[in-house]
Amino acid sequence: MSSSKGVFEDKVVLVTGASRGIGKAVAIAFAREGACVAINYRSNKDAAQETASLVEQAGGKALLVQADVSVRSDCEKLVDQVVEKWETIHVLVNNAGVTRDGLLMGLDENDWDTVLKTNLEGTVFLSKAVLPHMMMQKYGRIVNISSVSAGNGRRGQGSYSSSKGAVEAFTRVLALEVAPKNITVNAIAPGMIETDMSDLVRGLANKQILAQIPVSRYGKPEDVADSVLFLASDKADYITGQVIRVDGGITLGIGI
Amino acid sequence: MLTKDEVYSKVTDCLVEALGVDEDEVSPESTLTGDLGAESIDFLDIVFRLEKSFSIKIPRGGLFPENILSNPEFVKDGRVTEKGLQELRDKMPHLDIDKFANEPNVNNFADLFTVDMLVNYVSTKLN
Repeated sequence: MSSSKGVFEDKVVLVTGASRGIGKAVAIAFAREGACVAINYRSNKDAAQETASLVEQAGGKALLVQADVSVRSDCEKLVDQVVEKWETIHVLVNNAGVTRDGLLMGLDENDWDTVLKTNLEGTVFLSKAVLPHMMMQKYGRIVNISSVSAGNGRRGQGSYSSSKGAVEAFTRVLALEVAPKNITVNAIAPGMIETDMSDLVRGLANKQILAQIPVSRYGKPEDVADSVLFLASDKADYITGQVIRVDGGITLGIGI
Repeated sequence: MLTKDEVYSKVTDCLVEALGVDEDEVSPESTLTGDLGAESIDFLDIVFRLEKSFSIKIPRGGLFPENILSNPEFVKDGRVTEKGLQELRDKMPHLDIDKFANEPNVNNFADLFTVDMLVNYVSTKLN
């Protein structure tokens, strides 16, 4: 544990989908800066407990909260549980996300619903649930995890790209609405990050993908976490409604 | 049970917090929008603070109207129609709709939202 005061000391941070991947790295990064970190998970309790252990080892306080953000009533319960423990929430990281890739003509309607309800509606209704607390304290930072797929889709990612594009549009509108209350809302659009979610596609097309990444490597969850912490910090007070691509430049070229 | 003065004092505290105004800027006749500079998000802020301060529940659209003045059935050429006025009387009994009905221009509607109106609304809720 660091002896100097962390940037997020005394701040309460809620990270959704924090049992693994980007959410886990974000939770640990906040913990290193002294935050109280609420670790939300849907089903993988063992993995979430591991995140909690790492959060505590890093110098933060951990609270495990099971909730399925695709269920609206769960969003409210999730926020209530965090507030019950730590009285408020200063930072919300809407990270929980799923993919159900497949060509549109073979679209399974349930898959579409799952992706949109988790990625988009989870972000919307969790934001709605935390805003009264942020408004009352005249301080709040919301960071939504989008994807480069919001702007540069791949075949088979109709649902995922749509959900992330909508998250970015929502980010801008919410930022406008809540700016007078000292609440900022921004998004991070990660590129190809080494997580379970991208495991399959990296395995199938490793060389082709790497060839399109100007920095010649995949991103690490920690690369994304650093940007999340920046947007949640006082250094980003004047930034709202923006999307930062953390993608090693993958969206810059034309892919040839 | 709180006296009207006590309710007024707590309502003033909520407005000072929500709107960032000084206490001496707030008077019973102050209009929330015109005099105290409230914007749309501030109305939600005020509702949350009143709920917490008085331990009451204010239903959505219960204090400030929703979907009435944006409904073409209730507003025509910038004026609230008879039907709209009736809707406001039914849904917003805490507002002085009779006074507004003399000149039902939508631009005048915000003037109904005064500090005194909030005090009366909360007092009724508490009773």
